[in-house]
Amino acid sequence: MIELTINNKKVVVKEGTTILEAALQNGIDIPYLCYDKRLTPYGACRVCLVEVEGQKKLLASCSTPVTNGMVVKTETPRLNKARRAVLELLLVHHPLDCPICDKAGECKLQDLAFKYGPAEGRFTGEKRHELTDTESPLIERNPNRCILCGRCVRVCGELQGVGAINIIGRGFKSKISPAFEETLDCEFCGQCIDACPVGALGGKPYKYRARVWLLEEHESICPYCGVGCTVTYDVREERLIRARGVEGKGINDGNLCSKGRFGFDYIYAEGRLKTPLIKEDNSFKSVSWEDALGYVAKNLRVIKERYGTDSIAAIGSPRCTVEDNYMLQKFMRNVIGSNNIDSISRFGYVKAQIAIEMAFGVSSLPIGFDSPLNKEVILVIESDITSTHPVWGLNFLKAKRNGSRLIVADTRETKLTRHSTNWLRIRPGTGTALLNGIMHIAIEEGLYDKENAPKIPNFDSLRDVVKGYNPSSVSMITGIREDELVEISRQFLTADSRLVALTMVVGENTKGMNTVLSASNLIILIGEEPSSLQLPAEYCNTYGLFRAGVMPEPDGKDILSTLYNHGTTKALYIMGENPVVTFPDATTVEKALKGLDLLIVQDIMLTETARLADVVLPASSSLEKDGTFINAFGIEQKIKKIVPTVGDSLPDWQIIRNLARVMGTDIGARNLQALREELEEIRDKEGHLTLRFNPVRHSVTEETDGDYPLNLITGNLMQHSGALSVMSKGLSHAVADAFLQISPNDAKRYSIRDNSFVRVTSRRGSVFVKARVSDEVPDGSIFVPIHFPHARINNLTTISINGDPPITTVRIETARGE
Amino acid sequence: MKLRLEDLNRIREDYKRQNTLRRDGYRVRITVHTGTCGLAAGAKRILDAIHDEIDKSGARDILLRVSGCAGLCIREPMVTVEVIDKPPVRYADLTEDGIREIFNEHILNGRIVERSALVIGYENFLDKHPSQTLTEEKTSVPLMDAFPFYNLQILRALKNKGIIDPESIEDYIGHDGYQAAAKALLQMTPEEIIAEVKKSGLRGRGGAGFPTGMKWEFCSKVKSDIKYILCNGDEGDPGAFMDRSVMESDPHVVLEGMIIGARAIGASKGYIYVRAEYPLAVKRLQMAINQAREYGLLGEDILGSGFNLDIEIYQGAGAFVCGEETALMRSIEGKRGMPIPRPPFPVEKGLWAKPTVLNNVETYANIPHIILYGGDWFRSLGTEKSTGTKVFALTGALNNVGLIEVPMGIPLRTIIYDIGGGIKNKRRFKAVQLGGPSGGCIPEHLLDTPVTYEDIVQTGAIVGSGGMVVMDDTNCMVSVARFFLEFTTDESCGKCPPCRIGTKVMLDKLTDITEGRGKEGDIELLEDIARDIIDTALCGLGQTAPNPVLTTIRYFRDEYESHIREGWCKAGVCKELATFYIDEELCKGCGLCLKACPTGAVTGEKRKPHRINTDLCIKCRSCFMACPVRFSAVKIGPGRMVVRQT
Repeated sequence: MIELTINNKKVVVKEGTTILEAALQNGIDIPYLCYDKRLTPYGACRVCLVEVEGQKKLLASCSTPVTNGMVVKTETPRLNKARRAVLELLLVHHPLDCPICDKAGECKLQDLAFKYGPAEGRFTGEKRHELTDTESPLIERNPNRCILCGRCVRVCGELQGVGAINIIGRGFKSKISPAFEETLDCEFCGQCIDACPVGALGGKPYKYRARVWLLEEHESICPYCGVGCTVTYDVREERLIRARGVEGKGINDGNLCSKGRFGFDYIYAEGRLKTPLIKEDNSFKSVSWEDALGYVAKNLRVIKERYGTDSIAAIGSPRCTVEDNYMLQKFMRNVIGSNNIDSISRFGYVKAQIAIEMAFGVSSLPIGFDSPLNKEVILVIESDITSTHPVWGLNFLKAKRNGSRLIVADTRETKLTRHSTNWLRIRPGTGTALLNGIMHIAIEEGLYDKENAPKIPNFDSLRDVVKGYNPSSVSMITGIREDELVEISRQFLTADSRLVALTMVVGENTKGMNTVLSASNLIILIGEEPSSLQLPAEYCNTYGLFRAGVMPEPDGKDILSTLYNHGTTKALYIMGENPVVTFPDATTVEKALKGLDLLIVQDIMLTETARLADVVLPASSSLEKDGTFINAFGIEQKIKKIVPTVGDSLPDWQIIRNLARVMGTDIGARNLQALREELEEIRDKEGHLTLRFNPVRHSVTEETDGDYPLNLITGNLMQHSGALSVMSKGLSHAVADAFLQISPNDAKRYSIRDNSFVRVTSRRGSVFVKARVSDEVPDGSIFVPIHFPHARINNLTTISINGDPPITTVRIETARGE
Repeated sequence: MKLRLEDLNRIREDYKRQNTLRRDGYRVRITVHTGTCGLAAGAKRILDAIHDEIDKSGARDILLRVSGCAGLCIREPMVTVEVIDKPPVRYADLTEDGIREIFNEHILNGRIVERSALVIGYENFLDKHPSQTLTEEKTSVPLMDAFPFYNLQILRALKNKGIIDPESIEDYIGHDGYQAAAKALLQMTPEEIIAEVKKSGLRGRGGAGFPTGMKWEFCSKVKSDIKYILCNGDEGDPGAFMDRSVMESDPHVVLEGMIIGARAIGASKGYIYVRAEYPLAVKRLQMAINQAREYGLLGEDILGSGFNLDIEIYQGAGAFVCGEETALMRSIEGKRGMPIPRPPFPVEKGLWAKPTVLNNVETYANIPHIILYGGDWFRSLGTEKSTGTKVFALTGALNNVGLIEVPMGIPLRTIIYDIGGGIKNKRRFKAVQLGGPSGGCIPEHLLDTPVTYEDIVQTGAIVGSGGMVVMDDTNCMVSVARFFLEFTTDESCGKCPPCRIGTKVMLDKLTDITEGRGKEGDIELLEDIARDIIDTALCGLGQTAPNPVLTTIRYFRDEYESHIREGWCKAGVCKELATFYIDEELCKGCGLCLKACPTGAVTGEKRKPHRINTDLCIKCRSCFMACPVRFSAVKIGPGRMVVRQT
């Protein structure tokens, strides 16, 4: 610890702390413009200068480390003069267009000029007349207001790992710009907007929408991925107009991705449901809640009587709150009397849960936001964490920056592979083979937990299985070089601390339950803590969904038998899900839904699935209701009602409670408080850690052949994940449509150019999609982001029953003349 | 071939044998000086002409060589002719015809062409004075030790510059090259090397004057898997060409200095950062690196010592700020060349966050001598705190413009009046600018200041890297200050506001003053903002950028005031503030001004006073410069002066 004096106050801080940090930690304010605690000190703005006794020069407090006995002064006449001079200079060429600047009122330059600045400038100079970059979607750059603190550049390059902008030009002509002064085209995380202390960067959706002092500030939880970022939502006159990340708030501590920042406007999507709808003669008619619930109750009763309780099923939603899902399963179990309740996670996280339970005896392993940090080696298996869990992904980049070896096995080039130490470009779906190969080397070379592993059940059969995965066969399967495999394996196996991370996301098809089993085998074999396997849940409330009981246990039917093995289900209650767009093998799903006697869809919009429904119930979005989300790290977070509900819509749990009442059963939940008290009683299923090997062999659902020569890889984009993001206008500005990535060689082979329309055909159907020629995919594989309703990629995809990665093989042709 | 010490000595002896004229059957050695200065003046044509003459004459006993700059750049192209048993004769201002004459007269027939000869004898180098070799022949050509430009200099860093062929490693080895490296690697511990360098008192020649030995010691104490040794060849001051000359004329000395430094701090990788505008330096350094690698003087197990070092050239894009050490390192990293705050200092976290030592070219050029002859020998020249010699690029309004190396402590006056030969065209001295854009202008009354780090700082200037620009009374000091500010404004990296905007507003103010828009209070405003910039700027560039303004205000405040109050630029440089007229009483009617005037504004008959028609005058100063100083009839009045036309 270091002891020093700041403004006559003795403070004690950790070694390596800078003067600025030491001051801030002790409630002493030092002004700054270019400092950002997430970034390495830059020392450019010169307003954080301080006087240190014994030093002739003024020192930049943001970059000067403290030393024992240091005596620091942060406010002296000399410093005031220096700061006044810097601010005076910054204002010489500044446009001073505060009256029309969206930043006015929360602008650091304004605030500091108010505190230190001269009342009048002594210099008059030409104003800068750079063009404002208004062409770019979502982010507008006004270089004339820029003070060149470089925070945007550094947030983009250093923290976000993108580097879309930098300073160009020298001296007075320096400015921030994308390469070659082109229009900004990046991943649109918008981190630069929050980082900008002045009005040089702004979110376009917010432009000219409000003076900041008219805004009400609310905090809630982002409705997208499992990270569960805390978002600060700014509301003006009951309308949500801006989302921000604020330092010090939530697990994300100020970071947000494009979905969190720009994706909130899905609540203003066209076609929000305002009233319940009942289908009559193939068209929907607005009805009152009484009529709608009466209709549902009557029909459910009829079906129950005619076909029995087992003919009714429900689908919950990891995007609805714990409360909503709890009420849905309670309705099914207590009112209908059926355990036929399941969710989309069947295609995603449930696979992981089953595998983890098989391997470790517990249904979930602790996932840590900071788990990637301070690991010697991190191995990521076929997962683009920077897309599926963007803000958590930042910690993987940070770990790499801090010196961890980041090994990423992935077919596609992703942000993670670009930042990796080693990129193993394996063939899609061959993660299991790779993991088995590593275990082969571990056993061959004795680099495993020799003391404990042999005592764990199935060790012998694991040894037998991985025996077949010698480097040459793994090289054959995965396509990576033998020596590369051996080298990487040794680096991993001999490291002091190791982490294996992967995701199990509905839209991704390169991993199956077996991949998780194989990863679990590896963790157990090398004697690492179970927490060294990091497999986060996908959605904002995937954990909450399970805690609420949305699982077909003990004897209910899961989605696979409800929708893909159709026959006995007559009525289906879907809450907050759009299976037609998000479930694999959409043709089968659609057929199943059409064959139902009664389809109830409860959602915020008239989705593709809702169009098939007999009755549609309007629900409130997560920003229009109170509730609880449990994130991938198991943290329970309250979401708050920030804007009024739309039309007659109600929170899902209320709709279900009301329906139960109409059906003559009171399932409690007079109000949210009562419901939460009830939920308090629920405990997660407890298991205890019992390790077990589950040897698996590499295999995928479909192998390429002459008819279907290409592997189709599906996945998320940074800007899109599932049915919600595509409703957002903001995110659609960034990426509006599906596209197909194809390697330059394959493109040549099929005479495909950028923007050609391509017909992609699998054994289950075909779709048309625009091509993008890109070396992000290797020859023989194409990538298509899933979830865009007008290019239904899920017509092509398949489910996997045996735990194999549900790889789909396809053929493609240009859609000329069609 | 990987050299061992024996091989090194053998090459040296072989070289000495071959290049001693007698033993090898040569009678004459001709050295053509082909530095950038020489080449620019036409040295290539001279070289071709000599080849041609040799072919024509069929002589087989002539050794023709090239080497670097011969110092007196203004007199290039130059050639040194050595006839067996005679002291060398240096010819200057050569033309093709001139060299052919020299070839036929001197080389073939032993008759010195006195018209073209500049000096006879050897230059002073190291601390020896071998120039006393006199010639029996009576000649009007001055002897080296009676020639002030040469005899007040002592060459250490530049000792090989006009002597060796920079493209030949054997030449370098033949002149005791790599002996110091061998000594450092084979006989000395890193601690001993550092101790010797510390003892020498050598201070960084790049400008800041930080003690080199201390820097090495700091870095040697930092533990790291890899360390870097860098050479700063990004010489960027206007008017400076010291480092370029060293790199062009003696590239191996830089490598040798770096090898010794690398050994001292434990570095295994080196980079020489040279601006791409120095193509000849880059070419010769690259040749030197290739040769050194081939001889195993770079690479693994150098001279069998077990020590490894490789050196690469990194070409900079000519940004002045990249001479700042942290910016230079960012540039090598492939990033935008912008300084970062210190601490951490580069000796702890430099290039790629590894311990790094960066020294200037001239600093490295001194190292081998310190190792070979000792720290005490080094400090035998210079003063207590500023030891050794310093190289200066002497330019401006002097008779002798060129590259010089003088013992530290020598008064400025001696440099300007003796070595520099005084002011050109018999004009009056006004100021000498030291330290480039970071330095300042020193006026006449301070000319007895000794050239040491401590004394020069007292004047408000700095020793800097060695640019020395002498100005006469035709210079306007406000314009000079403006010139340097314009340079720093252009070259500011733009990172911190004081430098990015501060230099710009100062430049705007100076422009106002030079264009007649100056106001009362502007001088004080300039002084005030200058102090703020010095206080707040991030790096040395910004912190020193106001120096030229502050020193000119300090010593030439009256010029600022006459610009502002009287609208009068007395040097006639600021067009808006000058009116040219001819004092009819002084004018002898020689007609030189009339000939010089491009617009026909000057009229007059021979031997009668001339006149300037102010309506036609474009204030180009041609008449003023043309009028002989002994007449000084062309006068400059304030800008708004009404010249009565009679």
